[in-house]
Amino acid sequence: MQVHIIRAPVSGDNPRLLEENYRLRHKIFVDLQGWNDLRRPDGRDIDDFDNADATHILVTDGEELVGGSRITPLNRPNLLQTVFHGLVLGDLPADPSLGADWTRFYVRPDRREGRRRAPESAALFCAMMEYALAEGFTFITFVSSLSMVEHGTSVGWRITPLGAPVLVDGKATVAAWIEVSEQALYNVRRATGMSHALIPASALRRGQGEALTA
Amino acid sequence: MNVDLMLTIEALQNQESQHGIHAVVLDAIRKYGFERFIISGLPDRGMDVRPFVLLSGWDDEWYRRYTNLGYVDVDPVARNCFATTLPFDWSAAPYDRAEDFSARRVMDEARDFGMDEGLCVPVHLEGGMQGVVSLVGRTDWLDEKQRLELHMLALYAHGRLRFLNTMDRTPVRRLITPREAEVLKWVAVGKTASEIADITGLSFRTVNQHCENAQRRLGTNNRLHTVVEAIRQKLIVL
Repeated sequence: MQVHIIRAPVSGDNPRLLEENYRLRHKIFVDLQGWNDLRRPDGRDIDDFDNADATHILVTDGEELVGGSRITPLNRPNLLQTVFHGLVLGDLPADPSLGADWTRFYVRPDRREGRRRAPESAALFCAMMEYALAEGFTFITFVSSLSMVEHGTSVGWRITPLGAPVLVDGKATVAAWIEVSEQALYNVRRATGMSHALIPASALRRGQGEALTA
Repeated sequence: MNVDLMLTIEALQNQESQHGIHAVVLDAIRKYGFERFIISGLPDRGMDVRPFVLLSGWDDEWYRRYTNLGYVDVDPVARNCFATTLPFDWSAAPYDRAEDFSARRVMDEARDFGMDEGLCVPVHLEGGMQGVVSLVGRTDWLDEKQRLELHMLALYAHGRLRFLNTMDRTPVRRLITPREAEVLKWVAVGKTASEIADITGLSFRTVNQHCENAQRRLGTNNRLHTVVEAIRQKLIVL
């Protein structure tokens, strides 16, 4: 399995991966989970926040895309403070520039079976925390069904709600933030049995990857 | 946001033992009128539930009876966890009172142990695995807000217990501690021990101790070698 950090400018094999990501997201979030507001006739889930500020963390196995997630800045327009602002009652733990919003987390459904924590999901959790540390973020926000609180605490993350949980379309939903720290990375690696870093150093320097291929 | 609930959530995440979680959960659910609880995974039919129990706050005699007789397979409350994502009252767990004799026996015996009412929080885990947090007590006066609060509290407790369990089981893979990693990161960007002490709030002595411990663990010769090795092995992220 391989982790890809994709952000603008998108080059190489990444446009293909990103396209596959939008289609898979539509299949999972619209067709399977019923987020009908996102439905598009072309079968691609793309919203206003899939813009040049977004970073996509994708996981592939061989040629196939098997999981993904999106990180968007909190000091630009974002999902948390627009669509989901009703869920946020308290203040963010620090200045918005020190955090990011974690959205569209998914693992391809056929990879979720087998009575275990899917390695794809473990990789996404570890990669997200690695990325957040490398970018210098101190917190990561998310809006999710309450079960995310269980999954996050089970890998040793400290999670603080930003508001009370509420029922959205019959699902208990909460906005919360995850503390970014060396301890959080250590805990998630240990809980998931991940023994190594997942993000190639070259992916973490903005622009440098492009310079190397130019 | 409910201040008590926020404090409970923080306290749960600070606990380092099952015992500690038990005390925090008990204290919190009492404010909602509950007196006992159990937190457990639910095994496939026919399997012993005991290895799946994360924390039992049940009466010992009932716990022995329930686990020895394999009640988890026929308990309508446990079975209903597989069918729903939202918390439900025990009384709402469906079974055929006239025909399903074993289900009725579990429900009736639970009543004899003073457990006739309760709230059950299903916990859905990856790969179709299933957990449960079940609270003993009256539920009729709970409103939607309180149910959601208990739901969230239950998930925090379940998650923290799972984390503590994996920590007990898995050997440490990483060669250096998070504190050592933090100190080495500052060394790597050129800070001296006294500067690192100022930044981290540790004492000068402790900073040096962390470096020496990391050096010993990595089998390196000096501070520079330690930092290089930590970066090479990706133990620190710069």
